[in-house]
Amino acid sequence: MALSTTVSQKKQIKRKAPRGFLKRVFKRQKPQLRLEKSGDLLVHLNCLLFVHRLAEESRTNACESKCRVINKEHVLAAAKVILKKSRG
Amino acid sequence: MADDNPDGDPTPRTLLRRVLDTADPRTPRRPRSARAGSQRALLERASSRRLSGQTKMIAKGRSHGARSIGRSAHVQARGHLEEQTPRTLLKNILLTAPESSILIPESVVKPVPAPQVVQPSRRESSRGSLELQLPELEPSTTLAPGLLAPGRRKQRLRLSMFQQGVDQGLPLSREPQGNADASSLTSSLNLTFATPLQPQSVQRPGLARRPPARRAVDVGAFLRDLRDTSLAPPNIVLEDTQPFSQPTVGSPVYHSLPCTPHTGAEDAEQAAGRRTQSSGPGLQNNSPGKPVQFLAGEAEEVDAFALGFLSTSSGVSGEDEVEPLPDGVEEAEKKMEEEGVSVSEMEATGAQGPSRAEEPKGHTQVTEAEGSQGTAEAEGPGASSGDEDASSKAASPKSASSTPESLQARQHHQFPEPAPPPGAAVLSSEPAEPLLVRRPPRPRTTGPRPRQDPHKAGLSHYVKLFSFFAKMPMERKALEMVEKCLDKYFQHLCDDLEVFAAHAGRKTVKPEDLELLMRRQGLVTDQVSLHVLVERHLPLEYRQLLIPCAYSGNSVFPAQ
Repeated sequence: MALSTTVSQKKQIKRKAPRGFLKRVFKRQKPQLRLEKSGDLLVHLNCLLFVHRLAEESRTNACESKCRVINKEHVLAAAKVILKKSRG
Repeated sequence: MADDNPDGDPTPRTLLRRVLDTADPRTPRRPRSARAGSQRALLERASSRRLSGQTKMIAKGRSHGARSIGRSAHVQARGHLEEQTPRTLLKNILLTAPESSILIPESVVKPVPAPQVVQPSRRESSRGSLELQLPELEPSTTLAPGLLAPGRRKQRLRLSMFQQGVDQGLPLSREPQGNADASSLTSSLNLTFATPLQPQSVQRPGLARRPPARRAVDVGAFLRDLRDTSLAPPNIVLEDTQPFSQPTVGSPVYHSLPCTPHTGAEDAEQAAGRRTQSSGPGLQNNSPGKPVQFLAGEAEEVDAFALGFLSTSSGVSGEDEVEPLPDGVEEAEKKMEEEGVSVSEMEATGAQGPSRAEEPKGHTQVTEAEGSQGTAEAEGPGASSGDEDASSKAASPKSASSTPESLQARQHHQFPEPAPPPGAAVLSSEPAEPLLVRRPPRPRTTGPRPRQDPHKAGLSHYVKLFSFFAKMPMERKALEMVEKCLDKYFQHLCDDLEVFAAHAGRKTVKPEDLELLMRRQGLVTDQVSLHVLVERHLPLEYRQLLIPCAYSGNSVFPAQ
């Protein structure tokens, strides 16, 4: 079952930043604030780094539990740690 | 022959004619070099299609533009292998027996294109073949190309119409240039066309000169049969196009208008006479493929005016059993061509359709065309009489039915179907119902989609990045977990930025706030600056936007 529900890995990923999406999310969250022009690029950078850290942590967790596949529990545990770290 | 075109300007055709008359057709090179070169240039300038027919006939081997006749002349053009010119082709054509299909003027428009699909200039070739026989009567033939010279592409169309009109004695009103001369020439052409064409006309009685009314009658009957859905119970297929067969609605409407259709039919007759001529013979004489095409095209139009029929045609069918057939057919045809049909016309056709249901059985093709139309119309008027539907159904359900049915089914699903063909209606309604049934469920699903999808679409970008960074297979539930984490992360991010901006007394979040955030997160340290991170992870385009760089002219971008 684990194999059937695994997601195929993509070799190529797009490097473009979803600037519109980020701006929309920020506006929805904080309508009173304004985001500068290059600000969303830095937000995107921040997200990239966050996701990167999260993936690394999840991978570590999965390898520690000797699973070939990253599980939900691995991700959950990793998220706990990384979110705590990402608090400003 | 020697005289130029009445137009005044020597057209390639006239020049060719002169050359033809003077030069020896058997030696294409000689005349060609002498004058063909100039004429060739002229000819080539003119659309090859336009000239193919006429030049071939005139040049008889003097070819210049159209190679459309190449197909037949290939075999014999050995002598001029290097130059498979229309001239050689024409010669071959002259030598070989001309195909009757080509020669028929009226069929040129429709039947000729069908068999000669390969050639782009079908009309010209057909006309050329027509004119091939004409050369036998040289003086007349020379006139023919001269006549055609004036209009360029329009001549092609006009020629076919012209031929038809000539045969019928209709005035050539469409020729824009040299109308006066053209008319006189056309009259002369009439003579020329008439004699050689007769043999072909005999073969294709439908294409021969016939009174327009007669042709219209056939088509009218044909259309009426189509409309008479009630008469033909086997035409269930046509009936199927009607999702709702409610005879009650159609019949009263149908019977309500007894008189008007007749008058409208007459007017429509004349108006449609021209078109019916082209369409009639096409319908009658062409292979089923043609009527199907014609029907398909007409089906849409029929639908348009079938609607009118529904509203207007009422009670006409039952009463006009005998007369309206020809009128109705013509009208139906005309309407199909001109979707904007007057109510009177529609009524007339509707009235005539049901009455004619019985007659047109003889014309299989016509009935087929009518059947498709009739289904559209029958749906409209509601096939007041069951027999009408039955007859139309019987005639139509052939190939034409499939396409017009689909068209009609969609458009006429609202129309009530006549009661008489209950069986047909049932059958027709069955396929139509599933179509209708499918539609309602669709709109429901579109409601909740727009809300979550864009957000999820944006998040999915980062989820893919997550799976890429992980370099390990992941479960789908793990990805959903990642999405939730990202949501939480964004919330935290916005809150932090708000705090930082407020701390700086600003209402706008600036890059300094972002850098402060990253520093607090531990991503930016004294060893690793923000610029380093930008260079590491972001593509070049974003790097240029974020990191100030000095450019020529003592400018720094982005400005600090």
